Amino acid sequence: MIDEISLVKELQNVQTKQKAFRVLISEYKERLYWHIRKIVISHDDADDVLQNTFIKVFRGIDHFKHDSKLYSWMYRIATNESITFINKRARDRNIDISEIKQELVTNLQSDAWFSGNDIQIILQEAVARLPNKQQLVFNMKYFDHLKYQEISEILGTSVGGLKASYFQAVKKIENYIKTKHN
Amino acid sequence: MKETSKHIKDWKLADNIKTGFTIPENYFTDIEDDFSSKLIEDKLPKHNGFQITKAYFENVENNIIEKTIHKKGKLINFKTRKIKLISVAASIALLLFFGSNFIYNTNTELSSEEIISWLDMNVNSFSNEDIAFALTEINVNNINPYLVIENEDIVESLLNSNDLDYLIEE
Repeated sequence: MIDEISLVKELQNVQTKQKAFRVLISEYKERLYWHIRKIVISHDDADDVLQNTFIKVFRGIDHFKHDSKLYSWMYRIATNESITFINKRARDRNIDISEIKQELVTNLQSDAWFSGNDIQIILQEAVARLPNKQQLVFNMKYFDHLKYQEISEILGTSVGGLKASYFQAVKKIENYIKTKHN
Repeated sequence: MKETSKHIKDWKLADNIKTGFTIPENYFTDIEDDFSSKLIEDKLPKHNGFQITKAYFENVENNIIEKTIHKKGKLINFKTRKIKLISVAASIALLLFFGSNFIYNTNTELSSEEIISWLDMNVNSFSNEDIAFALTEINVNNINPYLVIENEDIVESLLNSNDLDYLIEE
């Protein structure tokens, strides 16, 4: 585990910034990638968004003032970038955001970088139908195994609110899967 | 059900008094939802099926570092202020704020530093179409007088760069 405060100091120092940035990427690239991938679905898009996320971290680190943990701050940037990406894609194609999300999931069946079976595709369809916040909470809790407190720091929502969102998400997913099976 | 609730209440009270242990607020209210969620979770697949190549995480690190080196060059342009883009930046920033569904308040005054910092953080979000959409012909005409490149080193560096497309694309 890296010492976050020292790393931020090094990132904010022109002399050590580049070296520290490599350490930062190495430490967080996988976690951020998987977080992004679950939102944007395709590997190529996740790659673009991941790179943009780190570029923004690099450019914005001088303004980082420890109001939150570095990890939460980066997760927040990754989340914003991913959602902005989806919104922009929908805007460019002049279609609704929910429509683009469904389309992304539909494409999974022919995606070379997806090895999921039918039930995993149905799960992704169900997740894609959730409102943004419920989708994020579900992914972070169920797949990333983050604690409610950690999710709270990232999304700026109370733990109580997150629990309610998660419960709603899980119920909706269950209902969707039941509907698909019947 | 009433019996159970009474039992829980009594138990909580007794537990508090005897042991000093406390529980998070709403714990016993939330726990039913937590149990339900867990029961549903057990039926769901544990993996999402997404895959990547083995080498991806090794390569992406270098790709990002390479991009920061490019961006660093561009940052110098802003910071040396040899290229006087502040007015242009202000126009684009305000127009893009408006175009990106931000709450736009005509009374808001942004300092040049705030605008530059905001642009700096968001430059990757703009596509050519966004900028073209944001800039009217009048804006474009206004840009030209400010594009005064005073530093010969910057001019030389721009002319010698093989990556002009990259700069233009940006």
